[in-house]
Amino acid sequence: MDIFKRLGWFFKQEKKSYLLGVAGLMIVAVLQLIPPRIIGIVVDEIETDVLTEQSLLQWMLILTSTAVLQYILRYMWRVNIWGNAAKLEQIVRKQLYDHFTNMDNTFFQKYRAGDLMAHATNDLRGLRMVAGGGVLTMADAISVGLTTLLAMLFVVDWRLTLIAVIPLPFLALTSRILGQRLHLRFRDAQAAFSQLNDKVQESIQGIKVMKTFGQEKEDVEKFENQTDNVVLKNKAVYKIDSLFDPAITLIMGLSYVLTIIVGGYLIMGDEISIGDFVTFINYIGMLVWPMFAIGRLFNIIERGSASYDRIENLLREDSAINERQGAIDEPISGTLSFDIEAFSYPDDEMVALHHVSFNIEQGQTLGIVGKTGAGKTSIMKLLLREYDNYKGTIRYGGYDIKDYTLDALLKQIGYVPQDNYLFSTTIRENIRFADPTLSQEAVEAAAKLADIHDDIMELPEGYDTEVGERGVSLSGGQKQRISIARAILINPELMILDDSLSAVDAKTEESILSGLKEIREGQTTIIAAHRISSVMHAEEIIVIEKGTIIERGTHSELLAHGGWYEDMYNQQQLERKLEGEDY
Amino acid sequence: MMEQKELSVRRSIPFKEQMHILKRIMTFGKPYKKQFAVAIFFSVALAISTAALPRIIQLFIDNHLTTGDLSLSIILTFAGLHFGVTLIRLTVWYLELYLFNMASEKTVQNIRNQLFEKLHTLGMRFFDQTSTGWLITRVTNDTEAMKDFWNVFLNIMQGVFGVVISLGAMFLLDVTVTLWILIFAPVLLIVIRIYQVYSSKTYSEMKSKLSLLNTKLAETINGISIIQQFRQEKRLQKEFEETNQSYFDSRFSMTKINALLLSPVINLLYTLSVVVILTIFGLEALTGPVEVGIIYAFTTYANNFFRPLTRLMDSMSLFQDGIVSSSRILTVMDNEQYAPAQLDKEDAHIEEGKIEFKNVSFSYDGKNNVLKNISFTVNPGETIALVGHTGSGKSSIINVLMRFYDFDEGEVLIDGRSIKEFPMRELRQRTGLVLQDSFLFYGTIKDNIRLLNESITDREIIEAARFVQADKFIEELPGQYDAKVVERGASFSSGQKQLISFASTIVRDPKILILDEATANIDTETEALIQEGLQRMRKGRTTVAIAHRLSTIRDADQILVLDNGHIIERGTHDELIDSGGQYKDMYELQNLGLQTQ
Repeated sequence: MDIFKRLGWFFKQEKKSYLLGVAGLMIVAVLQLIPPRIIGIVVDEIETDVLTEQSLLQWMLILTSTAVLQYILRYMWRVNIWGNAAKLEQIVRKQLYDHFTNMDNTFFQKYRAGDLMAHATNDLRGLRMVAGGGVLTMADAISVGLTTLLAMLFVVDWRLTLIAVIPLPFLALTSRILGQRLHLRFRDAQAAFSQLNDKVQESIQGIKVMKTFGQEKEDVEKFENQTDNVVLKNKAVYKIDSLFDPAITLIMGLSYVLTIIVGGYLIMGDEISIGDFVTFINYIGMLVWPMFAIGRLFNIIERGSASYDRIENLLREDSAINERQGAIDEPISGTLSFDIEAFSYPDDEMVALHHVSFNIEQGQTLGIVGKTGAGKTSIMKLLLREYDNYKGTIRYGGYDIKDYTLDALLKQIGYVPQDNYLFSTTIRENIRFADPTLSQEAVEAAAKLADIHDDIMELPEGYDTEVGERGVSLSGGQKQRISIARAILINPELMILDDSLSAVDAKTEESILSGLKEIREGQTTIIAAHRISSVMHAEEIIVIEKGTIIERGTHSELLAHGGWYEDMYNQQQLERKLEGEDY
Repeated sequence: MMEQKELSVRRSIPFKEQMHILKRIMTFGKPYKKQFAVAIFFSVALAISTAALPRIIQLFIDNHLTTGDLSLSIILTFAGLHFGVTLIRLTVWYLELYLFNMASEKTVQNIRNQLFEKLHTLGMRFFDQTSTGWLITRVTNDTEAMKDFWNVFLNIMQGVFGVVISLGAMFLLDVTVTLWILIFAPVLLIVIRIYQVYSSKTYSEMKSKLSLLNTKLAETINGISIIQQFRQEKRLQKEFEETNQSYFDSRFSMTKINALLLSPVINLLYTLSVVVILTIFGLEALTGPVEVGIIYAFTTYANNFFRPLTRLMDSMSLFQDGIVSSSRILTVMDNEQYAPAQLDKEDAHIEEGKIEFKNVSFSYDGKNNVLKNISFTVNPGETIALVGHTGSGKSSIINVLMRFYDFDEGEVLIDGRSIKEFPMRELRQRTGLVLQDSFLFYGTIKDNIRLLNESITDREIIEAARFVQADKFIEELPGQYDAKVVERGASFSSGQKQLISFASTIVRDPKILILDEATANIDTETEALIQEGLQRMRKGRTTVAIAHRLSTIRDADQILVLDNGHIIERGTHDELIDSGGQYKDMYELQNLGLQTQ
């Protein structure tokens, strides 16, 4: 019941419609009592021969008007209560979404994408059940149960009532126990299904490998084992699930038996009329739902409050990245000085960066080379304020980057990441992601600079081509170049290419880099790369190994120095001499 | 993700086609028709026992309560009778539900197994053209939706039997009153029709909006760093809220439609039918005697008549979903892009590994040839290298040689016999293809080297790993060869993945080796191991290599330069440099490029 208190803010907010809904429910509960009673009365009037045309007409008019009234009220409470449930779902979904967009990297490492999706779908459903089904069940069970019981007690006969309702509490108990059991078994079945899912996914994604090794038959066998397991787990579910209706039948059957015995006995002694008996039997039937619902209510509340726990836990998470009070709103410009003593990723003992410092004057280019995992990307992440927990300072134009607003900092940085994430929309929208109001001309200019325009024009729908799961699949090099265009378009003060030219050939790389140099006169650039040719024109090049700088200087200085850089350069040159690059 | 697109553009399937789809999808339940039949039998038994209960009470009222012919033993007899029928009722109910659910579960399994088997008969053409996400949804979610679909039939069955048997019971009691009740039938049909028209549209709208909402959410989570980097949080929040709102709107209209036309209206009709029943019996009572038990029985039957309809109507939208899912499943089942057929000559074995292409032409679409009149011979143990731009036909030669695609003209011979004569298994197991990006499966290192071939022993696995020098890093892993490989081998570097896939190729000791060389960056240390692994693997095997790094194939016995589906040059590296053709041009261009930089 605690969950109702915790959702109090919502009930308060939607007070009016909840009141309308619950009032509707209660009135319906009372109105429902009328038809069985009228049936009973008419039976009695026929039996005792007092029925007249007029009384019949009168009863039928009452019956008809309660029917119509019930219809209106039922419509009213449904729309109000179910509508509110959907509204709660909508509100919390928005809260979750907004929250996700404001969370930092640490958060997304802690919770996997699949889990977050599950919270935003299943847990929201659990919550909707509380706000809809939960409220409905509670209000309905109480009002229908109580009014029916009162009617049975006072309108019909209290002795009959007390005996006939003895089995009914077991109904609540049964539905509660079965519900719990079912939940556990259902979870197993879900797990089996998701295993099956994984298997299908792998087999289809790895179909070429499967075919290559000619092991189709064995794969089918393996799949059939999985489907067997799914059937087995669902069998356990059905064994319980199929019990619900029969269990109700059994308990209700007991109530009917008691009614027949006690009712018959009472009629024998002329204590109640036949009409009372008929009314009573109808009332018993009306108690099924409230009793059953009470049992169900426990399950709804239990699951709903577990769901709300999980959602609140997520919402309670804080981002470590915050803007300082009165932060500088002026866009960054000037010299970038990076001076890090030490940095480790949260919950990781390994030192990712130590003693890394460099200065980039406005308009200059810094090259960063080093092996995969040496720490190049970590430098970028700190610049982008993905993590704040480092020792040292990063200054832009003399101010700590933490002193700028996020807008002032990030809107001036054009970052092209290693993994090129594109959204499932058109190529145009992907390129002008930072500002959907930009014109086609601007988009095309950026695409041309990134050397992707011609590729796009060859696609069936040009810039309107959808990418991603639903659209065409692009090569790694094409995705990289679209990401570059996306960054170019914002005309950033600082452009960061994080190994973003790895999948394009040397000629394209050359043309992109020289194009960038031309338009980015006076703006700062950082290029991290595996290929020396990407960084050789930079004003300064640093070589990173195991999180720190092992060599630095210009291209010629580094070559003269004779170290890792020179080795790498010679090796790559040799390779390029021998191979035809990617022609 | 594919789903919502299809739903949003979902056309309404004409009735005739719906029935056709239904008929076909039902054939998957044929093996379980006995179980279905027994379930249906119990369903009828359930409806009859349900109808018997009010009848017992009616007899009790009319024969005993009203006549005063009452004694304790009579009361107990009726109570016992009522309870006995209740016991029968709950037993048949349980059996009906359990058997029906199990039969539909088995049917779903049958559909799944057949669908999966079908996939393995399809050729690469199909897989190259079909998005994996789309396909996965077919095998999992669409088949899962079949369960709801069968449940619709259970509901329909229960509804129809309930209605028919209640009507029958009413007829037995009083024909005139029953005929009067029947005036509600057309009203009901109209309500059902109206509900169907309004709900199916709103329902599918609601569903497609929900998937759109979830797609947006998933994309935001996956692309969060880009969103934050470009400071687009506010804009996307706004866009999301719009979708969220429009989902709410259609959910709300669905609620309204349900409230207007579903159980409240059924309830209204039921109460009105009680009015009709009471009026008729009341009027009769004014002129002559009426048995009041019958009034009770009639009102109860009227309830039984109307009650199942709510559920039946509610499940109609699921029927639509089921038809859509079925039609998608059948699309895959009907696909005829089979893997190329083999003649399966028993005596065809690959012994030497000699490969000949004779005037081979091939196109993917039947119009534009991507291979034009290709001829070459690779002698046993020799290496041939294929060089050329993207789209020049290198990969197509591999597709033809692996029988991923059927070629159109010419001949491909292995050891002098047509490639079509070899059983697919022989061909695939004697030919080792090393793919560009190595794909690892969930399981252990061992599983990934063995790849479902249980005849490969652990010792052979270790030897293969040692041979390609994958043993060093594997032995450093916790659990070594039993070390877990998570989805797609995410915890391994691309070089390590490549070495594992080398091991799985070499453990099968193929006669022919086909290398589609990786272009991706591999760290220098592993790179050396890979190069050496390749050299070792090639020894004694006929090798066809697609080369991006010419350094690895300079010693090839033959290099083919492909352009636009033609072989434009052929020879050894030195010969090609000497002859001064395109190979040399490209080679020099590269060198020149290096000097000017």
